[in-house]
Amino acid sequence: MGTEPQRPSGDTRNPGDVGDAALVAQARGGDREAFGTLVDRYADQARRVARAVLQDPDDADDAAQDAFLAALVKLDQYDSARPFGPWLMRIVANAATDRRRRRKVRSAVSLDEGLVAGGARPDVLAEREVLLGRLRTALAELPERRRIAVVLFDVEGYSHAEIAQVLGIPEGTVRSEVFHARRKLRALLSDWRDDG
Amino acid sequence: MTESQTPFDHRPDARLGAALRETLGAPRDRAAFVARVMAGSARTPAHPVEHLLARWAVRGIVAAAAAAFIAGLVIGRGRTPVEPSVSDDPGAMIADVQAEPNLLLVASSGR
Repeated sequence: MGTEPQRPSGDTRNPGDVGDAALVAQARGGDREAFGTLVDRYADQARRVARAVLQDPDDADDAAQDAFLAALVKLDQYDSARPFGPWLMRIVANAATDRRRRRKVRSAVSLDEGLVAGGARPDVLAEREVLLGRLRTALAELPERRRIAVVLFDVEGYSHAEIAQVLGIPEGTVRSEVFHARRKLRALLSDWRDDG
Repeated sequence: MTESQTPFDHRPDARLGAALRETLGAPRDRAAFVARVMAGSARTPAHPVEHLLARWAVRGIVAAAAAAFIAGLVIGRGRTPVEPSVSDDPGAMIADVQAEPNLLLVASSGR
């Protein structure tokens, strides 16, 4: 496995961009701009993972912010021989889980209010909204670890081994969690249209 | 669902991924979020006091342990070991003792 795994969605890097390990080294030396680049690079991914745990977008953003600041403090503990993403996502998942435990997630209602984009084509949107609502409910009903696993795998493109590192569980358990999550969620996707 | 994929597949499912991404909501205000984190980081020392103290404490303990070990070695080498003196001859043990001959006689005969 390479140190820079493929990221189908959250990765905003260009081919010529500085690698994570180099940015971490600069950030360790006090270069806040380098840390800012890392935050920018992983912001979307961290927020989605936090949302997978917390559902409420404001709580999730707070957790993601806490995680980035915790990562800044712990940068000395990061092993630059390993990929940065899983290390950071572990901090994000822990921050989100801690916040959920402390606050007892308010409600999934705020997801409906805050997350879904508006747009033209109301006829398609209405149908899509229903489907999104069902998917959201199904996702929320999954156990937390399963939710994080499927989001990291199918949304963020992490490998099973990396997710095992993030969640601190065996790789086989990750495969099982992803399998069960997919089986439930895919059943809802038969009417899904990719063009949105 | 992609027909060629089953839940056992080891490849990310792009279709499920896209649906989940939309469900979770694509964060569109990344710049604002990054600015917020950076504002927080300005108030967060990269090496907080507790971390520095912990580091110094560990270094201090290691240094003290090393100093104690070296001191022990130096002191230990400076001493000559005391060899136990054992004699097979009981007479030799009392040869230097200045005592009454009668008393020595009684002691040696076991009375």
